[in-house]
Amino acid sequence: MGALQDEPLFSPALRQPRSLREAWELKSACAEQAVYVSGGTLLRTQWEAGTAAVPQVLIDLRNIAGMEDVTRDDDYLTIGSLVTLTACRRSGALASAGPAAAEAARQIAAPAVRNLATLGGNIASGYGDILPALLVHDAELAVYDGNLLRVQPVEAWLERRWSGAIPPAELVAGVRLPLDQGSGGSRLAVFRKVGRREAFTASLVTIAVTADWDAAARTLRRVRLAAGGGSGRPQRLAAAEALLEGAELSRSLLGAVYEAVEHGFASYDDPFAGEQYKKKTAGNLIVSELWQTLELKARS
Amino acid sequence: MPDNFRLEEMGEMAGADIPAGPLYTLNCTVNGRALSLEVPPGRRLLSILREDLELTGTKRSCEIGRCGACMVLVDGRPVNACLTMAYQCGGAEITTIEGLGEAGLHPVQRAFLEEGGFQCGYCTPGMVISVVGLLRENPSPAQEDIEEALSGNICRCTGYGGIMRAVNKAIESGVSP
Ligand SMILES: Cc1cc2nc3c(=O)[nH]c(=O)nc-3n(C[C@H](O)[C@H](O)[C@H](O)COP(=O)(O)OP(=O)(O)OC[C@H]3O[C@@H](n4cnc5c(N)ncnc54)[C@H](O)[C@@H]3O)c2cc1C
Repeated sequence: MGALQDEPLFSPALRQPRSLREAWELKSACAEQAVYVSGGTLLRTQWEAGTAAVPQVLIDLRNIAGMEDVTRDDDYLTIGSLVTLTACRRSGALASAGPAAAEAARQIAAPAVRNLATLGGNIASGYGDILPALLVHDAELAVYDGNLLRVQPVEAWLERRWSGAIPPAELVAGVRLPLDQGSGGSRLAVFRKVGRREAFTASLVTIAVTADWDAAARTLRRVRLAAGGGSGRPQRLAAAEALLEGAELSRSLLGAVYEAVEHGFASYDDPFAGEQYKKKTAGNLIVSELWQTLELKARS
Repeated sequence: MPDNFRLEEMGEMAGADIPAGPLYTLNCTVNGRALSLEVPPGRRLLSILREDLELTGTKRSCEIGRCGACMVLVDGRPVNACLTMAYQCGGAEITTIEGLGEAGLHPVQRAFLEEGGFQCGYCTPGMVISVVGLLRENPSPAQEDIEEALSGNICRCTGYGGIMRAVNKAIESGVSP
């Protein structure tokens, strides 16, 4: 492996803006010659792999005030983009407001990488493993467009991201998760990741599920299913959600849900796993989690 | 879109001739000593330690954050020196394997020796650093905490049995790093 090392090949200039506005102006002025850097963990691997050009200017976002905070009000838990994945993995507030996202943080990379890597960098990549979990928690992103901070659902942001509609200087400032209003039932929240080894592995497939379980009626409500993995697009699985919403959970329903996930999940072939394998894996992961609800929660 | 964090897909060297940016003044401490270095801001901590400071106990291996051989403590927390850039260390306290053993063997090093937690020894400095980082935060970790803390340190020869014995011995000896 010809590792990209240091100077003279790798000597970009450093800029350290103190506000979103300043960062946005720098990026707008330098265009593709500059990149935003948060933890730099994904970027370094891209530079080493040659999948992204080494920029001439690094715009270090870490001095921007307010993006390292985790705050809670009556309605939302808000997490700044610069919060590290280690902090996400350990946050009691995230474990309670977004358990699937906290579990996703635990399963991303290894502790030393998570000490540098940020939530914002994971999201801004467009395919980070936290995204399916954010989708099922109905999370919203705060994005800065040079004038205003706008809030938009993760799903809408992903649509813009994957259709190439996000202007290069737009910043992800933070994430907010609605605090659960409670439904009387117990809330299911799951994140699962499958890679090529058991731990510290890039994902092939990730799935996330949230739903309210009504044990008396044996039904699920407010069902959210999402899948992603590798560098594929994280996505909600609308057809499978519709089958489950309000219906009595049964083994035959699970068969239909499996087929809806397998059919609905769009992924891609990579050198290690075909799309068909990933579709089956997503279906099996989701259905096995629901089956556990049926078998275990129904008994308790 | 390629999968960007896979060792197996590493391709060619990135970046052609890029004009050097201005140097960055890195003020930090390394193993307790204050340092001020003029370096390119994107220079890797790994190169600063091994080449500029000749602290070669921090090992160079995968260079993409996957193997853990270059683990050091930055403000007490393990990070991969191959992923960390000079400007990210401004004001930081950096501890390398050399810094642990300055007053004789560190108890975690001793536990690795006594329990045969190494064979070729190449991964050992990184392993030791990760264990010190873990015990600093959690002196009585459960097995799953140990496995998580060492998940970014890969050993390709001795296996993990001796390493686990060494970690457990360090815990029993009540290491307070
Ligand atoms: C060994 C290793 C293992 C890994 N394993 C995983 C894994 O299991 N799962 C996973 O999802 N990822 C993994 N990664 C990738 C990476 O560590 C994470 O995605 C991480 O969260 C990226 O965060 P960062 O702060 O380091 O991002 P950076 O590298 O700083 O940035 C990533 C991208 O986002 C842009 N960006 C950063 N912050 C912002 C912002 N606030 N607004 C707009 N754009 C921004 C950057 O310009 C860049 O394009 C791994 C990386 C390594 C090195």
